Amino acid sequence: MSHLALLGLFVAVGIVTFLYRYSMIGLFASGKLPGWLHALCRHIAPASFAALTATALFVQGGDVVLALNAPKPWAALLAALVAWHTRNVIATIASGMLALTLLKLMLPL
Amino acid sequence: MNPKLAEFLAGCRDEAPLQLGVIPFGMIYGIAALAAGMPAWLAQAASAVLFAGASQLVIVQMLSAGAGLLPMALTASLLNVRHVLYSMSVAEYVRHLPRRWRLLLAYLLTDEAYAVAILRYQQTARPAPVHDSTGPATTSDPASAFSAPATAGEAAPDLRHWYFLGCGFTLWACWQLSTAAGIVFGATLPPEWDIDFAVPLTFIALLTMLTRERAGRAAALMAGLAALALAALPYKLGLVAAIVAGLFAGVWAAHRKPTRDEKP
Repeated sequence: MSHLALLGLFVAVGIVTFLYRYSMIGLFASGKLPGWLHALCRHIAPASFAALTATALFVQGGDVVLALNAPKPWAALLAALVAWHTRNVIATIASGMLALTLLKLMLPL
Repeated sequence: MNPKLAEFLAGCRDEAPLQLGVIPFGMIYGIAALAAGMPAWLAQAASAVLFAGASQLVIVQMLSAGAGLLPMALTASLLNVRHVLYSMSVAEYVRHLPRRWRLLLAYLLTDEAYAVAILRYQQTARPAPVHDSTGPATTSDPASAFSAPATAGEAAPDLRHWYFLGCGFTLWACWQLSTAAGIVFGATLPPEWDIDFAVPLTFIALLTMLTRERAGRAAALMAGLAALALAALPYKLGLVAAIVAGLFAGVWAAHRKPTRDEKP
């Protein structure tokens, strides 16, 4: 993908995001947001992160690859356990990266 | 001290502790953006133009996965809809300001700046400059913030937008600098380290915080499974469909009657 296209993407999403932020401050005089928008906003982040994580772990190209000797899912599982217990982002990333490095050395690929 | 400057610095001071959580995200974004093939200038420009950490990480991750422009734009735009809620929440406090102030504060309205600034707005009953020796009065009624003080004498001017600016500026500067630090640091890392794996690990850490309630878990589970089921769709459009499926699952789970062993 060309760098110019990506810059265009960032500018476009940046404008959209700015309009979200400016919407109630400067564009619309007043008004209440519908309840469904509140509900929607609560679920967008978990849904987005889960879809991207699942793709990063199990999709190669356009194919789903479930392999017992793939190191990333196991490293992610360990990181998830660390995340669950510590609630610490740094500890989660560090344990996951360390596990991936060790597993790549150990698992036959 | 100039009361405006005092408010601004108070905002900077109160925003500072949150930067411990922001800096790693900024650095991971910078590192991962390079790993995904972005040039340094573009990675840094995105932090300035977009100034929204989660959506920047999502775009980087989708770029690594080979997604098309449209799915990336849709996903990032969807993820940022929550800013409408922040905008709504601060509107009553900033609507009276001149347009240039509203434009500036809107640009700086991010998760962490909002969290600190809204506390200031909701906890001060009336304009309470920092030099006020009586300290900020507290009330549970934010609407009283603009009612004239009952006490005699001139009302102190409302300078809390300077506090908001201090919060936003601190976060903005920290985000730009941590992005730059990540770009510089990322350039020194050997490619065989799989450093781009840090992004899904970051998502995993965030997921454990976002899925404490059943509806969040349902949204995440459905979106994850749907992403695999729809993986073959071109341009990673399956990701967008999976997120929408997750939204429906979350709404459905939130409305479903709780079973006996669950609290509502």
